[in-house]
Amino acid sequence: MKALKIVVCLKSVPDPEGPRSAFQVDVEAKQVVPVGIPPVINPYGENALELALRLKELCGGSIIAINLSDKAVTPVLKKALSVGANELILLEDPSFRNLGSRSTAEVLCAAIGKIGGCDLVLTGRQAVDWENGNVGLFLGEMLGIPAVNLVRSVEPEETTITVQRLKRVGYEVIRCPLPAVLTVSSEAGELRLPTLKAIQEVRKKPVTTWRAADLGIEATGLETRRIFSLSPPPSKSRDCRYVEGESSEDKGKNLALRLREDGVV
Amino acid sequence: MTREHGRILTLIEWDEGRGRPACLELTILARRLAQECGAIPCALLLGCGLAEASEEIARYAEEVYVIENALLGDFQADLYAAALTVVGRSLAPGAILMAHTYNAMEIAPKVACRLGSELVTGCISVEKDEQGGLLCSKQVYGGHAVAVFQTKGEMPAIITLEPRNSGCAGPIESPGRIIPFACELDGSLALTQSISIIPEGSAGLDLADVVVAGGRGAGTPEGITLLEELAQTLRRRFARVEIGASRALVDAGLFSRARQIGQTGETVSPEVYVAVAISGSTQHVGGMAGSKTVVAINKNSDAPIFEVADYGAVGTLESILPAFIRQLEDLA
Repeated sequence: MKALKIVVCLKSVPDPEGPRSAFQVDVEAKQVVPVGIPPVINPYGENALELALRLKELCGGSIIAINLSDKAVTPVLKKALSVGANELILLEDPSFRNLGSRSTAEVLCAAIGKIGGCDLVLTGRQAVDWENGNVGLFLGEMLGIPAVNLVRSVEPEETTITVQRLKRVGYEVIRCPLPAVLTVSSEAGELRLPTLKAIQEVRKKPVTTWRAADLGIEATGLETRRIFSLSPPPSKSRDCRYVEGESSEDKGKNLALRLREDGVV
Repeated sequence: MTREHGRILTLIEWDEGRGRPACLELTILARRLAQECGAIPCALLLGCGLAEASEEIARYAEEVYVIENALLGDFQADLYAAALTVVGRSLAPGAILMAHTYNAMEIAPKVACRLGSELVTGCISVEKDEQGGLLCSKQVYGGHAVAVFQTKGEMPAIITLEPRNSGCAGPIESPGRIIPFACELDGSLALTQSISIIPEGSAGLDLADVVVAGGRGAGTPEGITLLEELAQTLRRRFARVEIGASRALVDAGLFSRARQIGQTGETVSPEVYVAVAISGSTQHVGGMAGSKTVVAINKNSDAPIFEVADYGAVGTLESILPAFIRQLEDLA
């Protein structure tokens, strides 16, 4: 097994565990404004990073974490270094604000070119903010290499990898030549905790920032999301009918009777 | 959508010779959009041995394009994307609709890239836009907002839609035309090779009629037994009843990840969702809010799950569930 040069694409998102009130919808600006919740690494991106770390343990090599944004949340992204990524590259430029999936993939593609390519690109299956799931597969097309979505595990071989891809029921075992792009699902497992040793080493690891110009990208060629409108979700005005009863047992019984009466079961 | 893009094309995935329900229900949307745009509602079938499926699909679309090719017998994303790209170029439909399945999630971006199409994934609805394109609504930020994306209407827009479990499409008055579509495919277009399919793991919660879901409080041997008994009882009335779990139970190793419901797990919209001892974090609610009827059982009357429930019973699952199950059995 040869040592692998792995790129992991990580996006920062408002913590999806935050309460409903933390997600304010600014209808005018057509954006969601997180209130009082910290940014985190996209959870599926963390799954991708975990998969990369396991591969590195098996084959050796290096992991380069890449983030694209108009303004990087560097302290949050440095978590990647503290769990074992070798390097963090921030693609940071005001013109990268609100990029659509295609332009996002174009910029990432340029960055992967600038680092001299790699053996494997891992992304999350989707980001939990816009929930598109397109960037990884676009990258595969743009780089002209295989792309497999919804991957839950990877086994390296001499010049290929064998991946398990989720199916509706079960999974498919797929052999894939390298280089390749994989989009990783939560089934790959949660990101490990940082080790003390790795935390101490974070300061020695390189964090590089590249602007659009460093990548030879013209801001005018970039497309932003075409959002017509953004609104709060329709009010969940479900009117909960509480089933009463003398005892909990009565409640259980009455619940069944009520559901039958209303034709639910 | 302009007149020259005179078709709305729905990709029909099929299983054992039958169109998948999530795809068939899309033909209703395709027909409505086609009517609004003065276009023809069409369907596309890719695969091998499609005679029976073609007949079925002809009941739902005016034109059914069928690509019969041994290379398409099993799903392989690159080959499916190649075939769909040929069809997209040739027919130049105003829109290509797909159910937001695992397969569509893989091929839609590939095709969009090749056609230079706009792509909106995981939509909940699509409307005609007066500007000539389409307005595609989807939930974003885990259901904390709804975004409407506007397509330009220049190229076929590719749109994947979340299943609505609407119980499927009404057939059209007279069956549509079945049109064999010639498409040369080269096996070398497949960049990956399928070794085997392992039929286990994922629980197919997305297709369940009823989901019985347990939260932290159900994470005891007794709790899990009661969840299973309830599911078993409901199977007498519903074809497909599955057990789901909150992230807490999955993290505790009590259920496989395939059964995890929430933003970072499966999204479900069954007929009936029974939430047992689930507090109802936004993370969880994001994965089940689309359920038709929600029944919540929780010992805490302030639990947020009751805000998204239609029926609630306050009490411990150990005290409520046995009586609930017994009564359901008596009614059966």
